[in-house]
Amino acid sequence: MQGRSRRAAGDPVFDRYRKVFSEGSTLYPRIAVYTGSGASHSWIWFADIFDRLGLFDVRFIDESSVRDTGLSGFDAFFIGGGDTYEMAFSLGEDGARAIEGFVRDGGFYFGSCAGAYLVLSGVDLEPFTHFNLIDGAMLNSMAAPPEPRCLEHKYKSAYGDGWVFHPVYGEVTVTGQHRAIGQCVNAPLFGGPVIGRAMPEDVLAEYSRLTERAAYLWPRREAEEFMIGRAAVLRSELDGGTVVVSGPHLEHPLYTAANALAAEVLTEHFKGRSGRVSRPSRSAASNSDTAPLLLEIKRQVSNARIVGFGLEKMPVAWRLGHKVWEPEKIRMFLECAWERLPFMEEHAELMGPSGGGLEPLARGYADVTRISKSLKMRIESGRDSQAEASMLLLSLKELTARFLSIYFRLRLETGFGRD
Amino acid sequence: MDVMYYGDTLIVDLPTGKTEQVEFSPEMLTENGPGLAAGIALYRDHEDGDPLVFGSGLLTGTTAPASSLGFVLGKSPLSGELAVSPLSLFSGAEMKLSGFSMVVIKGDSPKPVYLWLHDGVADVLDAAELWGLDTWGTTDAVRSEMGEQLVQVVSIGPAGESPSKLSAYSINYWGSGDTAALGARMGGKKLKAVALRGLGMLDAEEPQDFYEGAKGLLSEAPAWKGFNKACEGIDAGDIDGWLKPLVHRYRSCFACPAACNTFVKYNEGPSVMESTGVEEPGMLVTGAASAAWLLSGGWKAEPACRAMESMARAGIDLIRGARELAGSPLDDASETEEAVGGLSGGEEAGWPGGDSSPKGLFGPWVPPLADEDEWLLANRIGYVIGICPTYLLASGMETSGLFGLCSSAAGVELDPSMVAGMFS
Ligand code: SF4
Repeated sequence: MQGRSRRAAGDPVFDRYRKVFSEGSTLYPRIAVYTGSGASHSWIWFADIFDRLGLFDVRFIDESSVRDTGLSGFDAFFIGGGDTYEMAFSLGEDGARAIEGFVRDGGFYFGSCAGAYLVLSGVDLEPFTHFNLIDGAMLNSMAAPPEPRCLEHKYKSAYGDGWVFHPVYGEVTVTGQHRAIGQCVNAPLFGGPVIGRAMPEDVLAEYSRLTERAAYLWPRREAEEFMIGRAAVLRSELDGGTVVVSGPHLEHPLYTAANALAAEVLTEHFKGRSGRVSRPSRSAASNSDTAPLLLEIKRQVSNARIVGFGLEKMPVAWRLGHKVWEPEKIRMFLECAWERLPFMEEHAELMGPSGGGLEPLARGYADVTRISKSLKMRIESGRDSQAEASMLLLSLKELTARFLSIYFRLRLETGFGRD
Repeated sequence: MDVMYYGDTLIVDLPTGKTEQVEFSPEMLTENGPGLAAGIALYRDHEDGDPLVFGSGLLTGTTAPASSLGFVLGKSPLSGELAVSPLSLFSGAEMKLSGFSMVVIKGDSPKPVYLWLHDGVADVLDAAELWGLDTWGTTDAVRSEMGEQLVQVVSIGPAGESPSKLSAYSINYWGSGDTAALGARMGGKKLKAVALRGLGMLDAEEPQDFYEGAKGLLSEAPAWKGFNKACEGIDAGDIDGWLKPLVHRYRSCFACPAACNTFVKYNEGPSVMESTGVEEPGMLVTGAASAAWLLSGGWKAEPACRAMESMARAGIDLIRGARELAGSPLDDASETEEAVGGLSGGEEAGWPGGDSSPKGLFGPWVPPLADEDEWLLANRIGYVIGICPTYLLASGMETSGLFGLCSSAAGVELDPSMVAGMFS
């Protein structure tokens, strides 16, 4: 996984977009990524794609930021996978209004999976009714879906009086007319919507094939009949803004062609726009505390990922809200920090007094190590691990957001963004 | 040049408990050679600190057949000369993946410590609570502390702590091929254990060539179970037949097509597969020589295995211990622990049926399956490129294919005479 991801990151397809964003004719956007209630782990893939595109003006925000600031100061807002109900409930009507205002003001909204369900218009159910940015309805819901053939825990979640269900879990192919798609693009579908009742001009791509690298929760032929030809990716203009929703995760780090499609719609939105060019001033004096703090973070992230690797061998999963979390998610958060630590070590001297917030991170990762070990012991001794796992996953999510905020700030400071 | 190592050389100064990381440069390899050759150069550079050097071979931890071998290098308390002992099972691979290319441990610590090497981070940790534990207790305690059973723990038991010249370090629970009493050097340094784990990856310089080459070698690599194949032609007896009534399973070292290591059960039926709650059902016999000594002395398999367990727990060299025990076989399993406690360390390491193992840098862990020159070359090649010498000799595998892998892995061109030259 690490090697494939690293190779994908070096794909020359990203050179073009880096160039576009580093030239003056396309706005270098300030980006917000939603990491609040309901967000699962998949938002960390946005961090990967932004790294690849050279977009470093990135913040990671939760529902209260969305509600309180109305996304002001941001040019793009990304929401990934997770528990749509929890997202909608936490963002509430104020959050929905903030997002809509942001888009009508010229903002770019990108929602994949849960972030796509969230803003589809055809939902008449609280707490979703305030979120409708784009015409389209999820077709993968019914009162009594048939029993799945496998992956029961991934198959369905409650939705009103019925269920949202997922006939396929894994890689799918989408096809469309957009030049970035070419023949077709593969991307993983991890519970995202199959979309109907969309405006034909909004359909950027349809499901065209289900691949061997997918698990079939329905018999394959029935899944194909249900999905093929149905909309997978939509794009629509709303006043001055753009809304893009995708069932599959176009941002997944192993799918460079899908990443390129996401990059293409992003550049199309920002092309010709001008605006603020954000470049924080360099931090003041270097600080001798920084290197030991980074080493402590490295130590604890390493310790925790070693325990996390061990947890992956255990037959256990946890439910947070409507979402099932497997132990692999623990290491995904940790790898996200681990892969970026060398860059931070290299530029430690720029991190300013107290390492610009590294100390709480070091403490946080030490707690993560401690909780991971205790969680493992709890599972080994056959005790219930739900509460401890929830605590661990939530604190990992929060820590990773803080870590990435520091990382991207440093990236921006080191001059890799637009001058 | 990707040299099939990642991470720096780690220098551990035990008197101060401080660590320093220095670059492990490609020049290190071109000037000295990889694996043990680089380790010897580092040993010489730090000789004034009477160091122990932990390292691995060029191909250790890869998909090359039997790429399991790492090493510990230091001055043997037995001979006063430089000696090397193996890091086998999964410890060599974890050494490679620990994030340190080589580790030089200098001087003596004022208090018991252990080293935790993980992903390029080196922690010198207090071992007060481990001191006094046997190797099984130490392995359990370290793994529990780190929260992971795959951590490889190279530790000493009470024998190493004393430090007795009969001691050897143990790899996890199962003893080791340390016949140079490097375990006693660990004890003298108050170094209770070195724990290893890394989740990094090795990058081959020519990945496709390496993949194809390794796949080709593996497809033709001889495989076997048990010890007899690795003792063919030497007077070691039918070890596999002797152990058979107790055998539960066979286990390979990292990436080895063979599976010499034999798990025997004597505290519950050997055919029992599910966990029955018996805490310690038996042990993994990892050394053919110790088994061969006890077999040749007329021991029955069960008390012999119990004696090997006692030696492994205490951190005693299983080969020398078994040789000393061989002459007085015990039927009563309950007496074995006492017999192990009474070992004097008066015997030299070697193989039954004539001690044909050469003295010098390499101990007799590798069976004398060839004449002295060939045996020596297999050891040298094995420790330089990280391939188990026992596998090289017993399988008859051509080394040219393995040298080809060194080239595609790291751009390092080697042949037998170049390897021999590294030791001249
Ligand atoms: S031949 Fe035996 S000792 Fe050597 S690596 Fe293979 S299993 Fe281990």
